[in-house]
Amino acid sequence: MSASAVAAAHGHDDHAHGPVVWPEDAEFGLATPGKIAMWIFLLSDAFSFSGLLLGYGLLRGGSVQWHHPGEPELGINFTAFLTFLLICSSVSMVMALAAAQEHDRKRTCFWLFLTILGGIGFLCGQMHEYFGFLPFLGGGEHGLIGEGLVFGHSDYANTFYVTTTFHGCHVTAGVIYLSVILINTLRGKYGDNPAGPVELVGLFWHFVDLVWILVFTLIYLIP
Amino acid sequence: MSEAAHASRKQYVGIFVALAVLTALEVGLVKLPGISKDPMVTGLVLLAITKAALVALFFMHLKWETKVMRWMVAIPLCTPVVYAFVLIADAISRRIPA
Repeated sequence: MSASAVAAAHGHDDHAHGPVVWPEDAEFGLATPGKIAMWIFLLSDAFSFSGLLLGYGLLRGGSVQWHHPGEPELGINFTAFLTFLLICSSVSMVMALAAAQEHDRKRTCFWLFLTILGGIGFLCGQMHEYFGFLPFLGGGEHGLIGEGLVFGHSDYANTFYVTTTFHGCHVTAGVIYLSVILINTLRGKYGDNPAGPVELVGLFWHFVDLVWILVFTLIYLIP
Repeated sequence: MSEAAHASRKQYVGIFVALAVLTALEVGLVKLPGISKDPMVTGLVLLAITKAALVALFFMHLKWETKVMRWMVAIPLCTPVVYAFVLIADAISRRIPA
């Protein structure tokens, strides 16, 4: 049964913003085409990250000397704090979804806003890690670049910057995506039921968190 | 609209606490005095896989999806891991003289 047929059967036209009852599929249950498409996109994105991490592993595994003299160690404590910040933003994201499923627009917007703040905090932390422009945060006054970890100088620096910057681009995209959903929810574009769009942006945001968990372990923690 | 059963707020908070504790364990493992590299790396990888699985199952709600959806995600994600193990092990074995 097509989406419009289902909508018509429930008294909605094609352009209605109200909840649409999606038919339960034998293979995919209640997952909407949008959700399945988001999962397929996330899997293709996971392959991009896999390529980067695989390249990192191969270069590091095959190198005789990974750390060159003069190159700084990565700050584990500071990055653990950034990891915790992303985990907190993942929790605020699921809280936003729970509120959206209860048709509570105000609380949905509140939790989405907190999630955006978490993402912005992570990005500021990453910029500080590179350039050291927020001395009150600790973790090195001059940043990694000032301390001698320069892109192009070694495989260690190249793989570090390419992987973490690629992830940072995803966080930036996530913050923009979340902001669009927040503005649309505030403006009432989804009516009282923003659960669908919030669930999709949530999938993307949790994926960004999941990838960071692996990047944190493989690049920062493994000695 | 997907309104399938999801975790409760209590479960979300429980997963958050578990993720925070596992992150602290990871940092603690790295700073543990006297630990050799192999058990440390094994422990770190296991902790990271556990954390990633918690996020996928509970925050991304894979636990409540159908079997087909879960396999659709799990199979492509596991393939690069196997590929990585083989290639990285090969790179390390070439570096170390027999």
